[in-house]
Amino acid sequence: MLYSVFLWRRGFREDNRINYFLLLSGFILHTGSMVWRGLALQRCPLGNLYEAMVFVGWGMVGVYLLVGFGARLRFLGAFASAVLFGSGVVSLLLGMELNSGAAPETRNGLASLHGALILLSYGAFGLSSIAGVMYVTQERDLKMHRKRAIFSLMPPIERLEKVMSRLLLAGFILLTVGLSMSPVLLKREYGVYFKLEPKLVWSLLVWAIYFGLILLHGRFAQTGRRFAWGAIGSFVFVLLTFWGVNLLSHAHNP
Amino acid sequence: MPIVVVGLSHHSSPVTVRERFAFSESAIPVALQQLRQSGIAAEAVILSTCNRVEIYASTQLSASEAFAALKRFFHEHHNCPEFHEDGLYAMGEPQSLEHLFKVASGMDSMVLGETEILGQLKKAYDLALQHRHTGSRLNKAFQKAFNVAKHIRTETNIQRGSVSVGSVAVELAEKIFTSLGDRSVMVIGAGATSEKTARALLSRGAHSIIVSNRSFDRAELLAKELGGRAIHFEEWERDFAQIDIVISSTSAPHYVLDRQKLTPLMKLRKNRPLLLIDIAVPRDIEPEVNFLENVYLYNIDDLQAIADDYLRQRHEEIVRCEAIIREKVRSFFPQASTGSMAGDSQLAFE
Repeated sequence: MLYSVFLWRRGFREDNRINYFLLLSGFILHTGSMVWRGLALQRCPLGNLYEAMVFVGWGMVGVYLLVGFGARLRFLGAFASAVLFGSGVVSLLLGMELNSGAAPETRNGLASLHGALILLSYGAFGLSSIAGVMYVTQERDLKMHRKRAIFSLMPPIERLEKVMSRLLLAGFILLTVGLSMSPVLLKREYGVYFKLEPKLVWSLLVWAIYFGLILLHGRFAQTGRRFAWGAIGSFVFVLLTFWGVNLLSHAHNP
Repeated sequence: MPIVVVGLSHHSSPVTVRERFAFSESAIPVALQQLRQSGIAAEAVILSTCNRVEIYASTQLSASEAFAALKRFFHEHHNCPEFHEDGLYAMGEPQSLEHLFKVASGMDSMVLGETEILGQLKKAYDLALQHRHTGSRLNKAFQKAFNVAKHIRTETNIQRGSVSVGSVAVELAEKIFTSLGDRSVMVIGAGATSEKTARALLSRGAHSIIVSNRSFDRAELLAKELGGRAIHFEEWERDFAQIDIVISSTSAPHYVLDRQKLTPLMKLRKNRPLLLIDIAVPRDIEPEVNFLENVYLYNIDDLQAIADDYLRQRHEEIVRCEAIIREKVRSFFPQASTGSMAGDSQLAFE
């Protein structure tokens, strides 16, 4: 995070391999701690809001490490680390682990897969919104003829838009597959295929928002800045409502 | 045997003098042969470009003898009477080696940090090598010069960025488009700057060029030169849907493209990004179009400001590059700083 602030202060003119390796080191340590936690608890570490937030962050870094391997998109990390740092600090400060209440059944393989896929989809949406922030920044600099637009090592805005749309699509597919498991899990737990439950309704709303965004981009030429703001706004909505909806939900915690 | 350099460049002489002392490529092997046969040089390389003419020689003569003999050779070879204002400079070690390294790194070029000179220097060295006019001293000096140029390019910002309007336009395009390979360029008004800009875009892979000009003959001529297609001036809007980059430089006293005209055209283009480069004075494109989504408008002042800033950044790197060069000369040629010629130089532009 501090290194990202340094890169930002330097006008994103330094090659940020250091940032990539810092995030890679964090990812390795994070993976180790998640495995250790999972072994200690004898379950998939998705049992409460804290674990869910941490898993989303882990997924975001994982996807970043893949797309940032080539130099062209490495700057995504400089923006991503700010979001990761923020979400990590908030998770710890709010002590969600203590307030989480009863944990959902995550010893069940299908339930774990359902949770993991949906949380990974949020990770992809998060990274897409970060690409959106980069797009908006670079687009504004280009429009305003700021020299930073040309002197920085930021990728071209067309590539950022492509990254945004691919991450959104990947997230949408993960979300769709994850949600498609819900009827089976509900049937097993409550004996019904559908239940008017806050988290389920919210998840369907999130699904509809991202479906609309992808449709508007692909079919109705809603491109560029509008698309970037759409990706940012949608993820901000997910971030702001995720905790509240989880607290309201009986079936999910998360 | 120490290495000396005698020559003249854009720093010391105007083009009227430089052109009198220039060597054609075919004349260089003969001149090198003469230099060695006359005993002035044991090894020699002649570098002759539009901005500099220099003879690098490894010689057994003393510094003052070598300088005088090489200057005389310059005048005699070109049948020019000697005169004081010719701008010829002469340097002995270590200045000659530092100068060679600076030339290779583009630090002595008219456009600071340009890379074309390195290719020209390699060509001059290869020519001398082919005709066996180099030996261990000059081979080492030139090989090290090429290494130092590479080191400076990678470790400093002396060659970073674009310092001409055309290359800034290319850099801007590369900040907008993922690749220039499948981009179409429209040139409206066939001026010299727009031609250079279009050529710069083509050199980076832009795949098609459409030229529109009030004089169709001129449009056809430029289109032919650029490998593109000419259209009548009244028809440029018809082809606009497929265009990604527009270079405009007409002499029209009013806007050729305004917001009202561009808004429906952007819909036809399905809001794909559009880079507009307006290098006309008075301007061809209404500044208001920059408020349209996915439209990026840059005029000649915007491009020049970026080029100037890059140049300023390059100038800031000079001290660092000079320190690197001095250190490299010291490490590669430790005897140069303490040899008999140390400090011997006659700089015409001092």
